[in-house]
Amino acid sequence: MSENQAGDLPERGNDGDLLQKPVDRRHALGMLVAGAVAGAQALGACVPLNGETPEQREVRVLAWREYIKGNYRFMTEAERAETITRLEELARLKRHEDVTIQSTGAQPGVVFGYAFNISKCQGFRNCIEACINENNLDRRADTQYIRIFEMSEGEVNFDLGDATFQHEVPAEGHFYLGTQCFQCANPPCTSVCPVGATWQEPDGIVVIDYDWCIGCRYCMAACPYWARRFNWSAPDVPASEINPNQHYLGNRARKNGVVEKCTFCIHRTRQGQLPSCVEACPTGARVFGNLLDPDSEIRWVLENKQVFRLKEDLKTEPRFWYFTD
Amino acid sequence: MRRSRSGMMFAGLAAMSLAAGCGEGHQETNGYLPPGVEVVVELDSATVARDAALEPGALATVVADTVVGFTGPGERPFEVARRSAGSEAGHSRRFGTITLQLVLRDQSPALTQYPCTSCHAGARVTMAAQREPDVHNDIQPVHPDTSGGVCATCHAPEDASLLVLLEDRRAPLDQSYRLCAQCHFRQADAWAGGGHGKRLDGWQGRRVVMACTDCHDPHHPAVEPRIPFRAPVIERIRSDDP
Repeated sequence: MSENQAGDLPERGNDGDLLQKPVDRRHALGMLVAGAVAGAQALGACVPLNGETPEQREVRVLAWREYIKGNYRFMTEAERAETITRLEELARLKRHEDVTIQSTGAQPGVVFGYAFNISKCQGFRNCIEACINENNLDRRADTQYIRIFEMSEGEVNFDLGDATFQHEVPAEGHFYLGTQCFQCANPPCTSVCPVGATWQEPDGIVVIDYDWCIGCRYCMAACPYWARRFNWSAPDVPASEINPNQHYLGNRARKNGVVEKCTFCIHRTRQGQLPSCVEACPTGARVFGNLLDPDSEIRWVLENKQVFRLKEDLKTEPRFWYFTD
Repeated sequence: MRRSRSGMMFAGLAAMSLAAGCGEGHQETNGYLPPGVEVVVELDSATVARDAALEPGALATVVADTVVGFTGPGERPFEVARRSAGSEAGHSRRFGTITLQLVLRDQSPALTQYPCTSCHAGARVTMAAQREPDVHNDIQPVHPDTSGGVCATCHAPEDASLLVLLEDRRAPLDQSYRLCAQCHFRQADAWAGGGHGKRLDGWQGRRVVMACTDCHDPHHPAVEPRIPFRAPVIERIRSDDP
């Protein structure tokens, strides 16, 4: 046994150039696959391989290169540009979608914060509609990042709220409390991830690398606010409804078996725009801004209004506050 | 999706001017229609298309004026969007195809919002007269308290494009927030600070907010109840799952 195990490990200097530099299993696999693909291409130049068209071969090669890429967090700028080019090309070839995928980083001196006015929200769910369209959410499973809970007056425990109300709103004796990912300053979801596929960006947004996620859903179990959603199948969005303005860490096409969630519309907010839910709200219940700017609206709300957060005793430090008029 | 409608409205009024001139050109209409002339306003397709393409909140489409009398957080001045930045409430409600009997006059270039003077010009139709039955019969004010309020409580009798403030001062109709703030000072403070109302352009850069009457119909300020967007499908795994 011990001999076999030792034999499995690369022995430097014995087995040729490949093993002379440290190489992990993933990269070794990548090299083998790249070699195989290159071989197939060389053959394909002479004889059609399995009757494959050039376009099909391009898709296959691009998909393989995607499969063997690294974690976005540790990619160089050049590697990020390469994978984005591949993803855009794959979207064009496989789904006939003309999308633009950003890799815009966090702005220096910016930490995003969000405030929700429970006196104002009337439960119209315009935010949810806008979110679905903006973030290319699965229409078939009807994935929704935002929940609006109908709460009895005097109740602040959102476990007792009803998010499935369907009647004329606002209902007498009730108020409405919206939840989504709170982008906690101390996020329990990122620390439980066994593969480092989810992390917090410098501007406070908790993001997921959909291509690194293994779909174990530990993060969903860890989130005390039920903010994360799992793709039991690849999101199904009609081509005419695709939002082509995408971000690698945000609303780009997800795959089957990965977790996704609200990213404060990372593709919009890093460009200075408001999240889609804020823009869609017909009652002005949603306030968004830079917590580090003392003259921002979010700071005015925090300094002048009575605010609270959900489950503060858990010390997750959500960057999402509720306030009243 | 909320979209601008007042561009449509202004175009509609321009079309009204042309229709009023019976093809004789805009210069000829720089006066009044004979009483009793019926004007049917049809919106042209180009206006409708341009209007539909406007996205409220897009930086390029926001036209705004600096707010008078209020400062935002950090004593910074901020801007209030003109109605063209997206509203269907109050005077900028969608008109569609309308039939009016009215007196026309060119819109004052100083007035950026609803040109009351298009109808309420000279002595033909004044606020002192009774409510125009064909035009304003949809206005059944509940605000302010109708027991004491009349049109002239808020609208200047001599010029319908002016609002009446306390101590008989006047404000342009664009500056509805100055009128509202006289009673609703808490809301006005929150509006200036950012806790009430709606910011339009983005979280960064220029701060452009909507005016009071962009959301609140001044005659019916409350938000109307309605049926919400569809409910989520939530599978409860445990009985205590929300």
